[in-house]
Amino acid sequence: MSQPLDLDSLRRSARLAGFDWTDTQLEAIRPMVEASLRLLADLEGLPLEEVEPTTQYRIL
Amino acid sequence: MAELIFASATELARMIAGKQVSPVEVVRAHLDRITALDGSLRAFITVTAESALAAAADAERALTSGRPLGPLHGVPLGLKDLYDTAGVRTTGGSRILGDRVPAADATVVKRLREAGMIVLGKLNMVEFAYGPEGLNPHYGHARNPWDSATHRMAGGSSSGSGVAVAAGLAPVALGSDTGGSIRIPCSLCGLTGIKPTYGRVSRAGVLPLSWSMDHAGPMTRTAADCALVLRAMAGYDPADPTTSVLPVPDYTAALTGDVRGLRVGLLRAFFLESATPDVRAAVEAAARALEKAGAIVDEVALPSVRYTAAGALAVVGTEAMTYHAGWLRRRAAEYDPDVSHRLMAGAFISGVHYVRGQQARALVRREVDEALARRDVLLAPATPIPAPAVTERQTTLGDGPSDIRSALIRLTRPFNFSGHPACSVPCGFTRDGLPIGMQIVGRPFDEATVLRAADGYQRLSDWHTRRPVLA
Repeated sequence: MSQPLDLDSLRRSARLAGFDWTDTQLEAIRPMVEASLRLLADLEGLPLEEVEPTTQYRIL
Repeated sequence: MAELIFASATELARMIAGKQVSPVEVVRAHLDRITALDGSLRAFITVTAESALAAAADAERALTSGRPLGPLHGVPLGLKDLYDTAGVRTTGGSRILGDRVPAADATVVKRLREAGMIVLGKLNMVEFAYGPEGLNPHYGHARNPWDSATHRMAGGSSSGSGVAVAAGLAPVALGSDTGGSIRIPCSLCGLTGIKPTYGRVSRAGVLPLSWSMDHAGPMTRTAADCALVLRAMAGYDPADPTTSVLPVPDYTAALTGDVRGLRVGLLRAFFLESATPDVRAAVEAAARALEKAGAIVDEVALPSVRYTAAGALAVVGTEAMTYHAGWLRRRAAEYDPDVSHRLMAGAFISGVHYVRGQQARALVRREVDEALARRDVLLAPATPIPAPAVTERQTTLGDGPSDIRSALIRLTRPFNFSGHPACSVPCGFTRDGLPIGMQIVGRPFDEATVLRAADGYQRLSDWHTRRPVLA
């Protein structure tokens, strides 16, 4: 995601996740959320079609 | 007393068992040093002087009465303040848990007490372990002891652990490592510390940051001490279902000092390439020293590690947010805003992101396994930069500009993501006199070889014997 997030989208997403944060709180984290989503988009560049996610560790 | 302060845990255990020194003297010497220096160093959140002296007196009685002694009998220990301690507050470096007093010890604390160690207190840390700089506005920023003029970062999140061991306030401390939180303060404070394989050491009774990335481990001044302490902490624990039933080897016995034939893969791309010139030169010199002593050194690359930042954000961001969700609904204002804002941002990571992160993790893990299929260990800087000043926010790496937080965590986090064991050992000093750390990574559950390589290097060098000058 490269587009800036608006406050309404943030508020809706937060409420869907069960958080009733104030607009001030959401404004404070908006740059961080935008940066996180930009970074997470990197994962789409990986060839992951055949890769099973890690769900267990090397427990012997 | 002065000679006790920087004695290794191995030496202290030997001297105590040989009745050359009493546990009470050892504990008192460290408590006196804490009293003298910790007002400015801010390594401790809670000092348990009374119970430490009582335990030392009991340890002394055990010596005289001929009771069986553990391998670390009478040796002092500091605990990062996220290890539960029965009857002693465990804050996680937060105000939210400022009055939390656990009823029981964490499994590893119990094991180390059974091995004879004496807890001096609870150590400063980044709030809830969420950050590599080592800053904490609630309890004060721990001060890196290697620069008396400039307040420099100790590295985190186990900042108090790094400062306490480097400054001689404790010979051993426990840290925890989710993205580098043992190895980063070891690198910045000139210490030796190991993040074991995921599953090697119990996390039961350790406050979580990210369940699938958290590792518990020791921070010491030598690889030999890491070997001794790790053996006492490691092993299956029914209270932590992710611990392995594999037997715990005698790590000390693996420290032969012989690195002949050790196959070492030097990580240049992404790792050495990102380091500042001082750091790069020190790690390359260490590789040459190992080669000269008979190790077989080649270069290897891990192309997928560049996706670690995104993958780890998906995993840690989601897991940390999940753990903190209740407090973030009701008590968000009680956090350091720098921590709460990053936790809150985790609410916007989707389930798809989380699974993509776990897929990326499988890819990185496979790549590290492949690199280690024909090598015994991998070698890299632990951090690409030495300790920054606490006011610094940006730096320049070998491959471009970076914020300090990303720079500090960049080279350690891949091995939390993959779960491989990795330690940091001192390998030099910058022109400004700041320590440089080198990372040694090994195969899963092969901490013995990692420590053998670290110890072998320490027999070829004296960086780990240098001490900061403190008033």
